[in-house]
Amino acid sequence: MNRNAKILWAIWALLALLGGIGLIERLFLGHRLAAYTSYVPWGMWVAAYIFFIGLSAGAFLLSSLVYVFGVHKLERIAKLALFVAATTLVMSLLTIWFDLGHMERNYEVFTRPHFHSMMAWMVWLYSAYFALLLGELYYALRRDMKSLSAEAIREDDRKLKRLATIGIPLAIAFHGGVGALFGTVSARPFWNSPIYPIMFLVGALLSGGALMTFIVASFWPDKDEAWLDLLQFLGKIVLGFLLFDLLLEWAEFSIPLWYGVGPEASLVKYVLFGPFWYVYWVVHILLGVAVPIYLLAAKRDAKSINLASALVAVTFFAIRLNLVIPGLVTPELKGLENAYVDPIGNHLSYHYVPSFFEWQILMGVVALGIAIFYLGRRHLPLVPNSTSHEVSK
Amino acid sequence: MKLSRRDVLKGGVLAGAGALLGSEGNRLMAAIQGSGPDGHDSYDLAQPENILYSQCLQCNTQCTVKAKIQNGLLVKIDGNPYSPMNLQPQLSYDLSPQAVAKVDGHLCPKGQAGVQSIYDPYRIRMVLKRNGPRGSRQWKAIPFEQAIQEITEGGQLFADIGETRHVPGFKEVFVLKDASLAKALGEDVSEVRAGTMTVEDFKSKHKDHLDVLIDPDHPDLGPKNNQFVFQGGRIGPDREVFAKRFTFNGIGSVNWYAHTTICEQAHHVAFLWATAQWAVKDGVGSWNKGTNHMKPDYTKSEFVIFWGTGYTEANFGPTPMGPQVSQAIVDGKLKVAVVDPRLSKTAAKGWWVPVAPGGDLALAFGMLNWIIENKRYDEAFLRNANKAAAKAGDEKTWSNACWLVNVETGKLIRAKELGVGNETQFVALVGGRPTAVDPEDEKKSVVGDLDVDTTLRGMKIKTGFRALRDSVFEHGMTHYVEKSGVDQATIESLAREFTAHGKKAAIDFYRGPIKLTYGYYAAQAIIALNLLIGNIDHVGGFAPGGGAWDSMGGKPGKPFDIGKMHPGALKPFGVKLTRESSGSYESSTIFKRDGYPAKRPWFPFTDDVYQEIIPAAHAGYPYPIKILWLHYGTPVLSSPAGHLQIKMLQDTERLPLFICTDIVLGETSMFADYVFPDIAYLERWGNPMGTSPVTLTKTTKIRQPVVTPIPEVVSVQGEDMPISMDAVMIAVAQKLKAPGYGKDGMGSGWDLKRPEQFYLKMVANVASGDKEGDAVKEASREDQDLFLRARRHLPRGVFEPAKWRAAVGGEWSKVVTVLNHGGRFEKADKAHDGAFLGHTWGKQMNLYVEPIGSARHSVTGKFLSGVPVFQELTSFDGKPVVFGSEYDLALFTYKDIFGGQSRTISNYAGQMALMPENFVYLNARDAKRMGLEDYDTVRLEAPGFNGTFNLASGETVTVQGKVKVIQGIRPGAVAVSWSFGHWAYGSKDMTINGQLVKGEPARSKGLVPNPAMAVDSYLKDVCLTDPIAGDSAFGGSRIKLVKVASGASDRESVHTGD
Amino acid sequence: MEQSLQPSAPDSRRAFIEKVSSAVFAGLALNGVKLGAEEKTNTMPASGLPPMPASPFQLSEHVDQDVLIRMQAELERTMKKPFKERRWGMVIDTRKCTGCSSCTVGCVMENKLPPGVVYRPVINEERGTYPDVARTFTPRPCMHCEDPGCTPVCPVEATYKRADGIVVIDYDVCIGCRYCLTACPYQARTFDFGEHWTDNAAKGADGALALTEARAYQNPPNFEYGKHWERSEGLIPGSPVGNARKCTFCTHRLDQGMLPMCVSTCVGRATFFGDLNDPKSLVSELAGQANAKVLKPEAGTQPQVFYLS
Ligand SMILES: Nc1nc2c(c(=O)[nH]1)N[C@H]1C(S)=C(S)[C@@H](COP(=O)(O)OP(=O)(O)OC[C@H]3O[C@@H](n4cnc5c(=O)[nH]c(N)nc54)[C@H](O)[C@@H]3O)O[C@H]1N2
Ligand SMILES: Nc1nc2c(c(=O)[nH]1)N[C@H]1C(S)=C(S)[C@@H](COP(=O)(O)OP(=O)(O)OC[C@H]3O[C@@H](n4cnc5c(=O)[nH]c(N)nc54)[C@H](O)[C@@H]3O)O[C@H]1N2
Ligand code: SF4
Ligand code: SF4
Ligand code: SF4
Ligand code: SF4
Ligand code: SF4
Ligand SMILES: [Mo]
Repeated sequence: MNRNAKILWAIWALLALLGGIGLIERLFLGHRLAAYTSYVPWGMWVAAYIFFIGLSAGAFLLSSLVYVFGVHKLERIAKLALFVAATTLVMSLLTIWFDLGHMERNYEVFTRPHFHSMMAWMVWLYSAYFALLLGELYYALRRDMKSLSAEAIREDDRKLKRLATIGIPLAIAFHGGVGALFGTVSARPFWNSPIYPIMFLVGALLSGGALMTFIVASFWPDKDEAWLDLLQFLGKIVLGFLLFDLLLEWAEFSIPLWYGVGPEASLVKYVLFGPFWYVYWVVHILLGVAVPIYLLAAKRDAKSINLASALVAVTFFAIRLNLVIPGLVTPELKGLENAYVDPIGNHLSYHYVPSFFEWQILMGVVALGIAIFYLGRRHLPLVPNSTSHEVSK
Repeated sequence: MKLSRRDVLKGGVLAGAGALLGSEGNRLMAAIQGSGPDGHDSYDLAQPENILYSQCLQCNTQCTVKAKIQNGLLVKIDGNPYSPMNLQPQLSYDLSPQAVAKVDGHLCPKGQAGVQSIYDPYRIRMVLKRNGPRGSRQWKAIPFEQAIQEITEGGQLFADIGETRHVPGFKEVFVLKDASLAKALGEDVSEVRAGTMTVEDFKSKHKDHLDVLIDPDHPDLGPKNNQFVFQGGRIGPDREVFAKRFTFNGIGSVNWYAHTTICEQAHHVAFLWATAQWAVKDGVGSWNKGTNHMKPDYTKSEFVIFWGTGYTEANFGPTPMGPQVSQAIVDGKLKVAVVDPRLSKTAAKGWWVPVAPGGDLALAFGMLNWIIENKRYDEAFLRNANKAAAKAGDEKTWSNACWLVNVETGKLIRAKELGVGNETQFVALVGGRPTAVDPEDEKKSVVGDLDVDTTLRGMKIKTGFRALRDSVFEHGMTHYVEKSGVDQATIESLAREFTAHGKKAAIDFYRGPIKLTYGYYAAQAIIALNLLIGNIDHVGGFAPGGGAWDSMGGKPGKPFDIGKMHPGALKPFGVKLTRESSGSYESSTIFKRDGYPAKRPWFPFTDDVYQEIIPAAHAGYPYPIKILWLHYGTPVLSSPAGHLQIKMLQDTERLPLFICTDIVLGETSMFADYVFPDIAYLERWGNPMGTSPVTLTKTTKIRQPVVTPIPEVVSVQGEDMPISMDAVMIAVAQKLKAPGYGKDGMGSGWDLKRPEQFYLKMVANVASGDKEGDAVKEASREDQDLFLRARRHLPRGVFEPAKWRAAVGGEWSKVVTVLNHGGRFEKADKAHDGAFLGHTWGKQMNLYVEPIGSARHSVTGKFLSGVPVFQELTSFDGKPVVFGSEYDLALFTYKDIFGGQSRTISNYAGQMALMPENFVYLNARDAKRMGLEDYDTVRLEAPGFNGTFNLASGETVTVQGKVKVIQGIRPGAVAVSWSFGHWAYGSKDMTINGQLVKGEPARSKGLVPNPAMAVDSYLKDVCLTDPIAGDSAFGGSRIKLVKVASGASDRESVHTGD
Repeated sequence: MEQSLQPSAPDSRRAFIEKVSSAVFAGLALNGVKLGAEEKTNTMPASGLPPMPASPFQLSEHVDQDVLIRMQAELERTMKKPFKERRWGMVIDTRKCTGCSSCTVGCVMENKLPPGVVYRPVINEERGTYPDVARTFTPRPCMHCEDPGCTPVCPVEATYKRADGIVVIDYDVCIGCRYCLTACPYQARTFDFGEHWTDNAAKGADGALALTEARAYQNPPNFEYGKHWERSEGLIPGSPVGNARKCTFCTHRLDQGMLPMCVSTCVGRATFFGDLNDPKSLVSELAGQANAKVLKPEAGTQPQVFYLS
C-alpha cells in the first residue's frame, strides 16, 4: 500500500472504531447521549438519513437513465450506480434505525400499518425499493459473473428495464415522499411547504449525481478519453442540477424574506444569519455551490470535476441539516423554552448541536458504507474491465 | 389485558405469600406488590393503607400533607383533604380515612417536589467529623456513640490531624446543675438588674458558687452553661419545644435561638407590641406581648393591599391562600393592590404600585398623611379607650389611640399622675377631662378625645394618635412622594381606596417593606393604617386567625402538662449572647462598665437576632462561648453579608467546638467540627402547631414520621432511633445526667428515652381538646387497624406500636384519630360569626407602644419612638448610610414560588427544572443605559465588596449571575431571587473517609445576592440591622453591576424566532 | 392570549396544498383509506384497572364544598356512563392561574416523569412597557384535540384518540420515531430519553451519604393508563423509555374516580375537568362561556382544552 492508501485506511479504521464505540453506547445507553431534544426531536441522524436516501435515489435515477431511457453515454456506470444506490440505502436505513427509540419494534410498521402516516408509507416504499434494487443488481450483474446466453441476457435486460421502470416512480414517490414527510407537518411552518417534494427530487439527483461523479472520477479503472468524456458529461449534469436546485432554494427563501415577517422569515433568517450561519454560507454556499460552479463551469478538467462533485456530494449534507434542524428550533408556543427544562440531560431545549456520540454513529455508518462499497467494488463486476484492474492491484 | 411475565411472577409471589399469611396477608402483599389479588395492576396511591398524613416543610407555611407510599417509598405528596389549607372548605373530620383516601387536596410546587428533598443522594447518613481544617471539605464518618462521647467529654479531639488544642465538651459548660441553686442565683441576678442588690452583695452571698458563673463581676451574664449556644435556624415551630427543653431546662443555657431576624422579625415584633396587653398582677402592671401576625379576611374583603408580599409566591403561603384569593378576585368581589418594586405574580393580578425599594415607610406616611388630613379614619373606633367602650361601639377591639402620652419620657400617663386613679391605670381626656382608663374594664366605657396636644401639671402631653399625626406631618407629602418613588396621585388614590370600603379592607404585609433599619417603624406604620380603619375582627377586615388547640397541656383537664413534666428542670438566667430579650442595656452591669455607646447593641424588644450570634461569639461580647450547635440553618448563606462569618467560624480559639445538625452538608455546616445527620421533615416528629391567620378556623397540624429515615438507626442507651437532633439531645442529656431525660425523665412512670415519648403527649393534649366535651372520637377498631397497616413500611426504631402506645397510656385511641387525620381541624363554618370573624382578637391594640417609646437606643443613647417615625437607612451609630454615586442600583430580593429558602436546590423536578438558575432582573431602561442584554453575566459589587469572597480552602466564590431584562421592575432597581448560588449542599466535591465524592455542578448555578448587602459601619462584621426588631436589612443596599461576559450565544440559542 | 402564542399560522391555502401534495405522494388512491383510529380496536385497554369501586362516601353530598369535590362527584357520575358517551375536556381559567407550576410538578411526580419529559409546563409571559406591564401564565397540557396533528403521522398507530376523547399513546407499540413530536402544534409531546433525576449526582454505595438509597424512589412503576410501567434502559428499553410521552388526562386516576393530578393540585383552582357531553358539568358550563378560547385555533386541531381569559 502506498502512503496515501495507508492514511486512508487509517482514517477508515478510526471511523470504524469510533463508530463501533458509538454503537455500543447506543445499544446500552439508548438516546441519552444524543443532543437532540424533545423540542428538536430530529437531529443529525435524521438529516443524514435523508441525505443518504437522496444519494440513493439520485444514483438510482442515474442508472435508470440507462436502463429505461437508454442513455448510452452512461451505460458504463449503470451497475456502479445501482450498487451505490443500494449501499447508500443501507446506510440510510441503518441511520434511521438507530434513531428509533425502540429499534426492536421496527417490524410493527408492517404488522400495524397506519395508512395515513407518511412515515409508514416511506418505510413500505423503501422496502419495495430495496427489493427492487436487489433484483436489478442481480440481473445487471449476473451476466458478468457467470456466462449467460445472449437470449438470457436480453431477457435480463427486459427484466431490468421493467424493474427500472417501476423503480422510477417508486424512487420519485419515496424521495418526493420524504419531502412530503416534512412538508405535510402543518405544525412546522418551515417545513410546511408544497415545494418540498420537488426540492427533494432535485436534491436527490444533484447529490446522487455528484456522488456518482466523484466515484467515477476517483475509482474508475482506466482513466482514458472516454472516461474524461463521461466525467465531463456527468459534470454537466451536476452543474445543471446544482443551478436548478439553487433556483428552487431561492424561491423557497426569497418569498418569505420578501416582507421579512412571519415565522418562516425568521427561520430563514435563522438559517442565514443565526448561530450556524457558517453552515449555510461557508459550507453550503461557498464550498457546496460557488467553488463547484467555478470548477464545473470554468475549469472542467478531471481533477476539478472530481473535487467539485465531492464537494457537492458532501456539503449537501449541510443542506439537509439546514432543512431538518431550523424547522424545529423555534418554540411552537412562545415562552415554552423557559417553562420547564431538563437540568439533567438538557433534552428540553431548542438549542441543538450534534453531540460527539451522534457523530460517532454517523462515522460508523459511513465506515460501513465505505466497507460495503470497497467489498462490492472488489468482488463484484461493477465497472468494466475491473478484473484486470483487480489483478494489477 | 395481556398478562406479562411480570404479572405471572407476581401472581406466584402473591399466592405464596397468601398461603403463608392468610387472607389479610394476601391483601397486604397485594398492596406491597402493587397488584390487586384479581391480577389487575392496581393504583397503589389510592389505597388508604398507602397514605399517611403529615406536614410539609418545604417552606415555613408548613402545610398539612397527604404522603403516599409505594413499595415502601415515599413517591407522592398531596394535600390533606381534612385540612382547610388544602381544600376549602375541607372534608368533614368525621369521615374515616378509608373513605377519603381518593380525595386529594392541593399543594404548591415545592410541596409537590418534596419527595426529592427527602430523597437527596447527598443526604447524610452517619456522623461526619472533620478530617482537615474547618471548611476543608475533608470528612470521616465516625460511630454515633463515639461522636457523643467526644462532644460531651471534650479533649484533644483533633489530635489525629495535628490540632493539639483542648476542645471543650458539654461537660465543661454543664456546670450549674442544681435547680434550686440556679433558681436562687437567677432571682438575685434580677435583683442586681433591678438595682436592689449590688454586685458585691451578690458575690458575697453566693461566694461558694461563683465558679459556676461566666464572670462573677458581672453575675448578670449568667452561668457558664450559657457558653453553650444553640443556634437553631428553622427550629420553630416544629421542634421548638423539644429543643428548648434541652437548652433551657436540660443544659441550663439561655442561648437558644431561632432565625427570625433574617426572616421577618420586624413584622412580628411590630405586631407583638401592637397587640401587647396590659396585665396587672399583684398591683404591678406590665406589657405582655400579644400575637405576631394578622391577615386580611380575603374571602370577604373588598380591597386588600399586598404590601411587599403576595398570595402566589411566598408569604403564608400560596397553598392556603391561592384558591380563596383567586376566586375572590375573579368573582369581582376583591380588588387587590400590590406594593412591590417588581411586578410579582400577585401584582400581575391587581393594581401594581411599583414603590422604590425601601420607600415603604414613606409611602405609608404619605397614606397616613392623606387619611389623617382628610379624616378618613374611623374616629369612633379610635376613640374607644377600653373594652367597655368597644362593646358599646359594637366593636370587639379597642386601642390606646386616645390615651395620653408624656412626650418627654415617652411613657403613657398613669392615672395616679393626674390624680384620677391608680398606678396601673391610664388616662384619656373625655371632653377635656382627664379620665382613668382601665383597658379591660367591661363596664365603665371610656371614649376619649382623639387629637390632644396639651400641657397638664407641667407635663407636655399628647394622645398616641396625636403623636402619630405629628410624626406623619413632620414632613410634607412631597417628601413622601420623593422618598417612596410613588407619585402623589397614586398615594392618594391608594389611601382613598383603602378607606372607601368601611371595615372590608386590610393590608397584608410581610418581608418587603420591613427588611430595613427602620423596618420596625415601617411595620408599625402599616399596622397603624389598618388600625385607622378599625378593621380588626370584622368580616372582610383584619383577622388574628383561627388559633390552635393547646398542646402544652397547661390548661386544666389536659392529660399531660408538658412544661411541668420536667423533674429537676434548670431555670436558665443571664444575658443572652445577642443581648436580646435580656432587659435594658442600662440595667446591666455592662452598662455600668461601658456606658454609651454599647460595644454592640442590645435588643430588649426582640428575639432571635440570628445574624448577630456568630459575630457576637467571635467578638466575645458580652462573653466568650465554648460550644456552638448550629441546627437547621445556614447563616453564612442566608444572612445579608453572612459571608463575613466564614472567617469567624474558622477561628478555633473563639469558637472552640462547632457542631451541626443538618440533612446535607450545607454552606455553613461545611465548617463544622462534627456534623450529625438529621431526619428530614417527613421522617420526624414535630410539636403540634397552629397555622397562619390566613386560616380562620381553629387548626392544629401534626408532623409525624411517615418515611423510613435516611440517617442511620443507632442505639441510644438501648433504644433504637435514627440519628437526629432529637437523638443527639437525648444522648447528650443522658450522658450528662442532665435533668428531664432517661428513665422517669418526664416524671414518675414517664420516660424520656425516645422522641415520640415527648411528642405523642402533645398530640394527646390536642386530642383531648381545650374544654369539656372537646375531645376527638376514639379511633374505631378499623381505623386502628388502618393505622398499623399504613405504617408497615416504617422500620424498628421509628415505629414500634407498643412503645407509641405506652407513651400516652389511656389516650392512645384518641391519639390515633388525630394522627389518622394529620391534625385537628375545626368545621369551616366557624370562620365567620355575623358581622365578625368566628375567632376574634377581642383585645387591646396599641397605636402607641409604650415600652419602645420610653426606651433608648443602646448605642446612640437616644430615645426610640412609640409611634412610627420617618427614617432613612442608618447604622448603629445613628449615622446615615451613604453609598458612592457609582453604586446606582437598589438591590432587593424575593422568593420564587418553587424555591424554599436554601434547601430546595435538590428538587430536580421542581426548582431546578422550573428555573435552573436565578437571574439579575433589570428594567429595560437600565439595561439599555448600561449596555446590558439578556444573559450577559454581571458581577455584583458594593462598597467594600468586590464581588468575590474566599472560602476556607482558598476557593473563591463570585457573586455573579445572568441578566434578564424585563419591564416588570422599577427602573433603578435590581432584583435577585433567593434559593440559588450554592457552594455546598452537594454542589462541590468533598472527601469522606479518603474517598472523593463528586459534587453536582448544577446545584451551584445562579447567585445569592446576600454578600453584596451592606455592612453596618459601626460593627463592621454584621449587616445593617434594625435596632428595635434586630431585623437584618435585606433592603436598602446599593450596588453596581460589572459585566463579566456576553450572553450572545445564550440569546441566540433560545430566541431564534424573534 | 392566543395571539401571543402563535408564532406559526399556516394559511389555509398552505394547508390545502399540503393536503394535496401529501395525497399525491402517499398515493391518491389511498386517500379514502384513512382508517378512523377511533373505531379501531387497539391493544390498549380503555382501562387496565379493576372497575371503580363504590363511592367511598357520598361525594355528591359535598358538592357545595370545594369545587374539587363538585368535579369529583361529577366525574363519578360520568364514569358510570358507557365509555363512548364520555367526552373528557378541561378548562383553564388564566385569570385565576397564579403561574405557580404546581400542576407541572404535581404531574411530574404523579406520573414519575423523568427529566426531559413534561406534560404540563406553564408558560410565563410579560407584555407591555413599564409601568403598564402585564404578566400572563398559560399552562399547557395536551389539548386532546378533536382533530389532532399527532395521531395521523404515527407509522404504527401507537397513538390514537379514544372514544372518550382522550388521545393516548400505547407505550407497548410506540417505536419512538418522534414523528408525532414534530407534528403537534403545541409541542405537547416529549420523548423519554431514559434519564433519571439523580443521573448527575455522586454515585457509589451508601456510606456516610445516601448515594444509593436516596435514588430508589425513582424505581417503582408508574401507573399511566392503568398499568404498571417499569422503566428500564438498555438494548430493549422498558417502555416508556424510548417512547413519545404526553399528558394522559390521568386516565389511571379517572378510572379510580379521581380527578387528574393537575386539577386536584391547582393552587389557583384554575383548572377544571369533566365531561363535555354532560351539559350539567362544570366544564360544559365554563367551556360554553363567551370568554372560552382555545390555543392556536388556526391550527385546526380543535383542542378540548379551553382557556378562560
Ligand atoms: N415560595 C416560598 N414561599 C415561602 C418561603 C419560601 O422559601 N419560598 N418561605 C416562607 C418564609 S420563611 C417567609 S419569611 C415568607 C416570606 O414571605 P414574603 O415576605 O411574602 O416573601 P419575600 O419574597 O421575601 O418578599 C416579598 C416581596 O417583597 C418584595 N420587596 C422587596 N423589597 C421590597 C421593598 O423595598 N418594598 C416593597 N414594598 N416590597 C419589596 C419582593 O419583590 C417580594 O415580592 O415566605 C414563606 N413562604
Ligand atoms: N437573598 C435572600 N436571602 C434570604 C431570603 C430572601 O428572600 N432572599 N429569605 C430569608 C428568610 S425569610 C429566611 S426564613 C431565611 C432562611 O434561610 P435558611 O436558613 O437557608 O433556611 P432553610 O433553607 O430552611 O435551612 C437552612 C439549612 O438547613 C438545612 N436543613 C434543611 N432541612 C433540614 C432538616 O430537616 N434538619 C436539619 N437539621 N437541617 C436541615 C439545610 O442545610 C439548609 O440549607 O433566609 C433568608 N435569606
Ligand atoms: S406553601 Fe408549599 S412548600 Fe410551603 S408548606 Fe405549603 S405546600 Fe409546603
Ligand atoms: S395537543 Fe398535540 S399531542 Fe395533544 S392531541 Fe393535540 S396534536 Fe396531539
Ligand atoms: S414516536 Fe411513537 S407515538 Fe409518536 S409517531 Fe412515532 S411511534 Fe407513533
Ligand atoms: S391531566 Fe394528568 S397527565 Fe395531563 S397534565 Fe394533568 S396531571 Fe399531567
Ligand atoms: S397549579 Fe393552577 S394556578 Fe398553578 S400554574 Fe397550574 S394552573 Fe396555574
Ligand atoms: Mo422566613
